[in-house]
Amino acid sequence: MPTQTATENRPQQSLTVDEKLQKLRELYADAPEVGKAALQNGLPMLTKELAAPSAAQTAGRIGARQGKVSELTVFLPFVKGGAKRLRGFLQLLEGNFRAADAVGTVHDMRFVFVDNDTKLLFATAYDGDFDPYIADFAAKIPNAMDLWLCNFEGYPGMRNPAAAADWIANHQIAAEAWYVNSPDLTAAETRKLERVGKAVDELLDKIGG
Amino acid sequence: MATQTQSATEPKSDAAVEQTIQKLRKLYADAPEMAKVALEHVLPALTSQALEAQASQTESAGRIGIRLGSVSELTVIAPFAPGGAERLRTILRLLNGNFSGGQKVGTLHDMRFVFLDNDTKFLFATAYDGAWDPYIDDFATKIPDEMDVVFSAFEGWPGIHSPDVKDWIVKHQIPAEGWYVAHPDLTVAESGRLKRVGKAVEEFLDQVS
Repeated sequence: MPTQTATENRPQQSLTVDEKLQKLRELYADAPEVGKAALQNGLPMLTKELAAPSAAQTAGRIGARQGKVSELTVFLPFVKGGAKRLRGFLQLLEGNFRAADAVGTVHDMRFVFVDNDTKLLFATAYDGDFDPYIADFAAKIPNAMDLWLCNFEGYPGMRNPAAAADWIANHQIAAEAWYVNSPDLTAAETRKLERVGKAVDELLDKIGG
Repeated sequence: MATQTQSATEPKSDAAVEQTIQKLRKLYADAPEMAKVALEHVLPALTSQALEAQASQTESAGRIGIRLGSVSELTVIAPFAPGGAERLRTILRLLNGNFSGGQKVGTLHDMRFVFLDNDTKFLFATAYDGAWDPYIDDFATKIPDEMDVVFSAFEGWPGIHSPDVKDWIVKHQIPAEGWYVAHPDLTVAESGRLKRVGKAVEEFLDQVS
């Protein structure tokens, strides 16, 4: 999948809600029947959504951000033998990504093998901007990064953080749309809330008991 | 894009861990030098981590996809219908990140829309609570029109109310082989509750001080 760095998606603030709705109707004039019907039925909610201030932001160099949470989506070409190594590695890890816990800004990440094991789709949700995020990985878990990224064409290594960041950005495709349920919650704040919640539960138990 | 569902969940013994470490060494025997060095660096931590982990944390999300704790992943790559890319891009830009439909479903952590291969394909990737079937049912019940407005941009979308809709999704879904969630026990609902608890505690502390 050739990458396409699509970041010309500037908001269309200048349009009124009516103009936006008009544009949508024109666009959907030749949509499949199911789409046309849905547009009619969904208009009340759409109108609300179109009237709301823009929620989309950027994650710095590349990628979309909503509130404090950003997305990173890359398609990476495997070197020969790379798919087999990474699959073996992931199976042995069995979902225990302590390294990601150590970084502390990762919300989620997925590894998906595509196109007959010639490429990997890696998609993650993280806190903040692209460059500090990558720099953080380079500083905190360079070995873990080299261990999985060495399986891809042209990876320069995390000991060369600037080149590694460029390499990632070159394979990244910015999402056209990005939704986060709690855009104001960083991973760190979530950890804190979990502790607060637990403390409150214990407190209430003590009062009750 | 080959699908491969895997979820090994046997508890591990020291011998089993030693065996898998050997396997990992073998897998990395023909890796780039940088990776071999990295492997030696992380092996001690990796070993103790493997010994600690009694069993695989990753489980099946039901029909397809994997789950960690209460959070599952869904990753779909599908071709656009003629004119679909333009329709979807326009609607996404008009919405500008305001997916109130996502809030309405209440089990959606995040989602991204990424356009691939010169707008011939798209990637949809989401993190959600629970199992696959109830999740899709939930969309069909709560935001059917929003679903059809968006997904009618794709080749062969049968409509959210069609009995074939789940088969369509399964056909295009590629299960992840690695999946990490920072807070696997936190559903969207629970995180909403914790936010309210956190706020209440702050207000309480303000009053006390």
